[in-house]
Amino acid sequence: MQYAMFRRVAAGGAVAALTFAGVGAATMSPAYAASSKVSVVHGIPDTPVDVYVNGEKTLNNFKPGDVAGPLTLPEGEYDIALTKPGEAIDKAILKVDDAAVPGGANISLAAHLSADGNPQITPFVNDVSKVGAGKARLIVRHTAAAPAVDVRAGGKPVFEDLTNPKEAKADVAAGSVKADVVLAGTDTVAIGPADLNLKEGTATIVYAIGSAEAKNLSVVAQTITGLHSAPGGVPSGTGGQAGTGVDTWWYVLAGAGVLLLVGGGARVAATARAGRR
Amino acid sequence: MTVRNRGALAAMAAGAAALTLAGVVACGSEPAEDVGGDEVTALASATPTPAPAATGGGSVPVNPGTLPAGSEIVPPVKLSIPPIRVTATVNPVGVNERTDEFEVPPSVDQVGWYRYGPGLETDAGSVVIAGHVDSAEQGKGAFFRLRELRQGDKLTATGSDGRERSYRVVAREEYRKSKIPLERYFARDGKPRLTLITCGGPFDAKTRSYRDNIVITAVPA
Repeated sequence: MQYAMFRRVAAGGAVAALTFAGVGAATMSPAYAASSKVSVVHGIPDTPVDVYVNGEKTLNNFKPGDVAGPLTLPEGEYDIALTKPGEAIDKAILKVDDAAVPGGANISLAAHLSADGNPQITPFVNDVSKVGAGKARLIVRHTAAAPAVDVRAGGKPVFEDLTNPKEAKADVAAGSVKADVVLAGTDTVAIGPADLNLKEGTATIVYAIGSAEAKNLSVVAQTITGLHSAPGGVPSGTGGQAGTGVDTWWYVLAGAGVLLLVGGGARVAATARAGRR
Repeated sequence: MTVRNRGALAAMAAGAAALTLAGVVACGSEPAEDVGGDEVTALASATPTPAPAATGGGSVPVNPGTLPAGSEIVPPVKLSIPPIRVTATVNPVGVNERTDEFEVPPSVDQVGWYRYGPGLETDAGSVVIAGHVDSAEQGKGAFFRLRELRQGDKLTATGSDGRERSYRVVAREEYRKSKIPLERYFARDGKPRLTLITCGGPFDAKTRSYRDNIVITAVPA
């Protein structure tokens, strides 16, 4: 198994600079075909972190509510650690060893609170299949320290009884919709309402984050573009005035012409011969 | 000359006339040849983006995970094609929910812009406008003469911002509807271009539909 090797290059003083440098493009290329796109979503309130991948710092001062990536990672297993900014990796506040990244997938790693409020990392595989023409994909992920919720759009529940750390998804008509999150089976609004602009041919992934107890529930959103399909066809004429094909009747006419010519010719020839006799 | 002979000669004359007429119709019906197909392919090939990570040193973007905002799109509102004397109102349209097909405006003197794709502001992808060649009830449509366009012909699309944008025709293609590579014409990547689509080819009177689509590709002039 080819492991990715990353080296942090100059951060250049930028606060949230993340630099992923491939060490030797040549050594990576065999695994490149089976690489995945990986995004990192920060859903732990009030806790900026440094992110280490395989012991190398790859995200510097990554802020709650931010989305990093996508990175292109070769298929393999990765050790991921989160530290308070500037602290050593052995003081990691959250650590996942041997996190499997499959090949050819689109993945989001969400750092978030569990239902009972402990930090954790949950990998989600993003559905990046094409959506139909005129459609948009809405994916909602419960990654908050909160009980089961319903997600409503235009006042009607679209996803019900969603629990941490699960997701619900649907392909819906593209456009703008007013959405909110309520405690499951109730009208008690936990998050929102907010206007969701679901652009055609994209997937909008909304993460519910934070903690109900700490009263800091909110959302982080990630958008994946390029999932559009062309319409099934372009029907644009019913009159027939512009038809360029040759109608069957013209073939019939041509055929009749040939028959008349041959028949008439034969008759003329026959009478000519008869006349000579 | 016998009476019989005269009848035979008349038959021959009628036959010749019939053949000539059928021939003339057949030749007149020949569709104009496709031009510019290679250019369309070149326009559609996605602008290459450097492979991340593998090139080394590329920093990974970090974005605030805010809910997506509405993007600023400039819909075309008027289309003017002087070589075929067309000036048409452009309506934003989508897809028919039942058929999954492009919702061409029912009024044949108006044309439809595919509102899910790019608008005139775009720096990538295909802005698609489709219109009727004709209709059984309303007669000739705005795009009746679309297939007469030639490479180099100029046209103008006016955006909702009031700005006119000029385009130059680079290709005219005809495809059977069952074979047309629609994803190429509805692409959101590749070079910016304007794609005009209507119907053409042989007409099937039973299904009241044309066999083919005529596709004009134009680039910013």
